[in-house]
Amino acid sequence: MYRYVVKRVLFLIPTILGVVFIILLTMNFTPGDPARALLGESAPQADVDAMNHELGYDLPFTEKYVNYVKNMVVHQDFGVSYFTKQSVFDEVWPRYIVTIKLAFLGVFLAAALGIPLGIYAAVRQYSLWDTIPSLMAFLLAAVPAFVLGMVFLFYFSLKLNWLPSYGMDTWKNYVMPALAISIPPAAMNLRFTKSSMLESIRQDYVRTARAKGASERVVIWKHALKNALLPVITNIGLSLGSLIAGAVVAEKLFSIPGIGSLIVDRISYKDEPVIIAGTILIAICFTIVMLIVDLIYAWIDPRIRAKYARTKG
Amino acid sequence: MKRKSIGLSLMMATLVAAGSVCAWAQDKPVKFRLVASLTSLDWTQTTNTRDMKVWHQMFEGLYGMDEAKNGYYLELAKKADLSKNGLVYTITLQPGVKFQNGEPLKASDVVFSYHRAMKNPRFNYLTSPIADVAAVNDGTVKITLNKPYSPIAHTFFSVKIMNQKEVESQGAKFGTIPHKAGTGAYYVTSYNVASGAKLEAFKGYWRGAPSINNVEYIVIPDDTSALIAYQNHELDYFEDVPLSAWKDLAQSAGANAKLIKGNNIMFMAVNYNSPKKALANLKVRQAIFYAINKHDINLAVCDGFGTEATQYMPSEYVATSPVNGFQTYPYNPTLSKKLLAEAGYPKGVDVGTVMTYGTSTSNNAKMAQVIQANLANVGINAGVKVMESSFVTPKLYAQDYDICIFADSMNYDFNNIRQQVHSESKGMYVVKYQGGPFDWQGMEKLIDLGASTADTAKRRATYTKLWSMVMDTATILPCLHRPVGIVWSKNIAIGQPVPTYYKIRLFTKK
Repeated sequence: MYRYVVKRVLFLIPTILGVVFIILLTMNFTPGDPARALLGESAPQADVDAMNHELGYDLPFTEKYVNYVKNMVVHQDFGVSYFTKQSVFDEVWPRYIVTIKLAFLGVFLAAALGIPLGIYAAVRQYSLWDTIPSLMAFLLAAVPAFVLGMVFLFYFSLKLNWLPSYGMDTWKNYVMPALAISIPPAAMNLRFTKSSMLESIRQDYVRTARAKGASERVVIWKHALKNALLPVITNIGLSLGSLIAGAVVAEKLFSIPGIGSLIVDRISYKDEPVIIAGTILIAICFTIVMLIVDLIYAWIDPRIRAKYARTKG
Repeated sequence: MKRKSIGLSLMMATLVAAGSVCAWAQDKPVKFRLVASLTSLDWTQTTNTRDMKVWHQMFEGLYGMDEAKNGYYLELAKKADLSKNGLVYTITLQPGVKFQNGEPLKASDVVFSYHRAMKNPRFNYLTSPIADVAAVNDGTVKITLNKPYSPIAHTFFSVKIMNQKEVESQGAKFGTIPHKAGTGAYYVTSYNVASGAKLEAFKGYWRGAPSINNVEYIVIPDDTSALIAYQNHELDYFEDVPLSAWKDLAQSAGANAKLIKGNNIMFMAVNYNSPKKALANLKVRQAIFYAINKHDINLAVCDGFGTEATQYMPSEYVATSPVNGFQTYPYNPTLSKKLLAEAGYPKGVDVGTVMTYGTSTSNNAKMAQVIQANLANVGINAGVKVMESSFVTPKLYAQDYDICIFADSMNYDFNNIRQQVHSESKGMYVVKYQGGPFDWQGMEKLIDLGASTADTAKRRATYTKLWSMVMDTATILPCLHRPVGIVWSKNIAIGQPVPTYYKIRLFTKK
């Protein structure tokens, strides 16, 4: 198991190298250059070329790639933003933390709302406890986060004046964006949990547990849910990735200084150091989350644990 | 006695509380919106208007500019004398001006600031007419030009004076952290690229401390969110209000709302050198121009609140801008069809693509769609292509298009037309006149002539001739001036609203 974890952590290295490679390659193929974006259309070409040279933008692709990786690994230096002249790390890290906080809050809410309702809907199939949440989930899964965000802003901020409409200063600022990004995945979690639970409670081992006289609570929570949770956990892991990458909508709408909006803003300026550093952080987070998902799998399912143990042997 | 003292204590407490509330109201920041990050606190770092609006509260130039009164005025310059040959400006500095760090303003700071700007290629368009800047003594600066150049006033306004000591002491960090290098009425106390900046009044400001003590700029990228923030009393000054919401907002804001003609232009250009040979025909180009219904464009882009344009630069903001005496191509589909027939295309013609930049719902894209429909109405077929600006603009500058939609803004002197029509200009060059079937040398002579005199009437007459020649080529058609909608809270009075460079020092709290 430990070997597996180490292997997965080491897998981060090619992931990061791949991310840097893909971004540099993509930027290489897109038109325009940072110096022209920074100096404006009226700046003489000679000055633009000189600035591109100073920024290292005119280097051949392979040299640029090697230099970036070397600076990152040897000097732990992500460079300086072309656009603001600020240290990339100083600019990216605080915004990354904001996005991560928001994304984790979103995932937590999505799980806290979706899973219990999904279990209840499965246990009480065909009752109102099933029909109403299932119908709501069907509708809400299709509503984009920005529409929910708009509705929340209109009611909670403008009409009721309960919550501030922008910023990240207090806990109140997190309420609307977290709800807006968590409701669609919560609806998906509900649907996943319900279908998985329905499949699980019809299995032989559940019937056997009931026949052995186990209480309904033990049957549901100990026998059925443990097995039903596997696909739900996968969905939660994937939704965290999409929440981090997709938080840009909520960030724009609620004026949250997060990493998504930063990357989107800087693409038009070809601010490569910021784009690469931001994407690397997102990739690392996603890889770690996927590793945690796998570990939870192993913790829940003894078959997977046994498989890891065999691999070790 | 006891009752009396309790009453007195209560009264005192009430007075103290009322005083605290007043002080709190006075110190409560007046909040402004930024549509994107504030790039830097160093005014030499970008030329984008969003950042410049903030810098104008912190820094001042030798000249100031009053958009409401269409002109420049002396700011840090107390007197500006021009030599007889029109080449040397001797600037006497305002006495008693201090930088926010307490240092007195000296000629050496002016020289330092100008040299800094002259070394920066970003400001080439402003500083290229300057040959030399030198200090005569602590209170006098001599600015020598390469040739007589009357539009230099805009340079004197745009180049902001910084304290050399403050800039050099911050070194490479200058612009990334708060500083007190300006002479303006406010300095930054807290700055975060992501979320905005906090400004505080400079008590030693040479014109007297401003009435508003604290100002906050907040990054709110989304228009709808900004609208809600304003309605929720979380913003005090909201400009560029989405026009779709203007009617309702103006109604609720009452006297605290103003729609101003913007200092901008959305125009269409036709490439006479396009592979679509029909566009080389003057009558086809004229037919295209007469087919355009600017009223439709106004409805699509500005909900009808814009101003249908005939001028490239609105004369409200550009004193030397031609007002009449040139072709304006009013909407006339019948004449358009007639011209098309005379050109040899009685059954219509394919003119390629209308190209522009932005998103599919941007103003440019909307205008492109209206133009496509207008052209189809007279039998001219054109496609529409809307792409990322970094992809489109190089194509336009390389004359690789048929018809394009472009926008220009923030012109304060008609000499700026040089960027569009002079062969030596860089960027903003969508029609290349040089070498074409036009008197382009004559046009260039008029540009130089216009810049050589300071007489506004003479300059306007020269530019009228120039603009008439440009309009006769039927290559550039001004279509629309977009308005700027401003609303402000009931807590502040802003005086005369202006479209761009508001001065918070003139605002007061109610």
